[in-house]
Amino acid sequence: MTSSTPLPRKSGGKLRRIAGNTFLYAILTLVAIITAFPFVWVLATSLKGPTDAIYSVPPQLIPHQPTLDNYRRVWDQLPIASFFLNSIVVSVITVAVNLLFTSLAAYPFAKMNFRGRDAIFFLLLATFVVPPQLTQIPSFVMAVNVFHYYDTLFAVIFPSLATVFNIFLLRQAFKAVPNDLIDAARIDSTGELRIWWSILMPVVRPSLATTAIITFGNQWNDFFWPSLMLHTRSKMTLQVGLVALQGMFTSDMRGIAAGVVMTVIPIIIFFLALQRQFERGISGTM
Amino acid sequence: MLIIGVFVIYPIFAVVYYSFTSYDIVTPPVWVGLDNYAKLLNDQTFWQALLHSFTYLLVVPILIVLCIALAILVNRKVPGINAFRAIYYIPVISGSVAIGIAWRLILDTNGLLNSLLLAMKIINEPVQWLAEPNYTLPIAMLLTTWMGLGYYMMIFLAGLQNIPKERYDAAQIDGCNSFQKHWYVSVPGLRPQMSFVLIISSLAAIEVFNEVFILFGPSGGLLNSGVTIVLYLWQQAFRLQHAGYASALAIALLIITMGFSILNMRRIEREEVVG
Repeated sequence: MTSSTPLPRKSGGKLRRIAGNTFLYAILTLVAIITAFPFVWVLATSLKGPTDAIYSVPPQLIPHQPTLDNYRRVWDQLPIASFFLNSIVVSVITVAVNLLFTSLAAYPFAKMNFRGRDAIFFLLLATFVVPPQLTQIPSFVMAVNVFHYYDTLFAVIFPSLATVFNIFLLRQAFKAVPNDLIDAARIDSTGELRIWWSILMPVVRPSLATTAIITFGNQWNDFFWPSLMLHTRSKMTLQVGLVALQGMFTSDMRGIAAGVVMTVIPIIIFFLALQRQFERGISGTM
Repeated sequence: MLIIGVFVIYPIFAVVYYSFTSYDIVTPPVWVGLDNYAKLLNDQTFWQALLHSFTYLLVVPILIVLCIALAILVNRKVPGINAFRAIYYIPVISGSVAIGIAWRLILDTNGLLNSLLLAMKIINEPVQWLAEPNYTLPIAMLLTTWMGLGYYMMIFLAGLQNIPKERYDAAQIDGCNSFQKHWYVSVPGLRPQMSFVLIISSLAAIEVFNEVFILFGPSGGLLNSGVTIVLYLWQQAFRLQHAGYASALAIALLIITMGFSILNMRRIEREEVVG
């Protein structure tokens, strides 16, 4: 049998395929409803006017009197714009500096030979096991007693400027680059720093992009540490601000829902714009 | 490297030291020897939290099975599949605070779920989903599963796309139907991803905090019904300012996660020898 022999197909293929696809779409849609519905419900609640019921039997999804009043109310009472700005500042600075630091740290682990390289790298990996909350007790103590940056944005940025996970990801990426490229440069006695910047960095651009997206998302959504650090309202990031909003608008469900929509929409748009890159990145890192 | 040193390596030693002291963060720590650990062993809430965190591990097999199945589905090249993948990913990216609020809108005593069930005459009285101690952990675990679905699906999807096509063709020639095809080709082919997800998700389960915190608040549910180790640690360290005692808790947690990782590594090594 040659390899070009067509594979035996089951009979009644077309009809069966249509039935199969309908079934597939039915399951896909069901899962989509389960994952997206809570957000649809929040969106609907946020658009409801004062006479629309949020609690009723049977539930009412589509508002009869759609209004943007809830958004205006939240916007007027809380510095949503500064929440946004703070989140953007924190996330962008973190991504830029973190990528610079971790890619610099990953390079020697991937492409240079020095004594104890693997031992140090293994030690770094072992810190994976350390629960993040454990390190936060001393980090908190340092924030108050050593760095004196409690209640500033810097306190949120500083501890995440270098992460073991990113060093690991980028080391994998660097390792995949053929050694010939680097050896040629070394023979031309190019400095290691130049090799890293002008040869390796351009080659691993897709991995850098993935790492950047993951880091951005983590920092944007981080809640535990920022909530410990930020207490002045104008300094809060979106996540911390959302909790403050929940406290202020306790029984005003329409307002709370409007706040949620305002914080979630930008990150969803950001992700959709980069979906392709992201999917490719994940398959590259595994 | 310096930053990792300051924020990862140094804290481990600091926590070990704090765990032998009585420390309220404001005044300097006072050495108390093993007092914190003695207190830990007699602390009922600690054992309760430990039990809850271990119960939480149930989400791991559920996530692995569901996410593999979902990955196989979205790996089919049919029109619109990218839109479905994107929708499944929404809970992963939207942030736990927003998710918590969304779910509270649904699970509230006056919320959507009760309205629906009342309308369909399945129940006659609204159920106190968030105020019934027996429901606390299951609801949080459901939320964890819901949030993790998209993320782990992506990992398995990436794995599926690395499996050579010839293996599926070979399985077809051997007369496998589509279920058998996935059972004998996809599942073994996803082994590396399974190990990865197993490690990541079981660590996440033992260290769970966000889900319980956003659904049930700082108290962790009525009668400590949802208190996990990390939530208890948070209460001790940042609400009661018992940094010394919280450090002892952190060390207990570290010992557990280390034990887990060693177990996992042993298992992976053994598999590599056999397979």
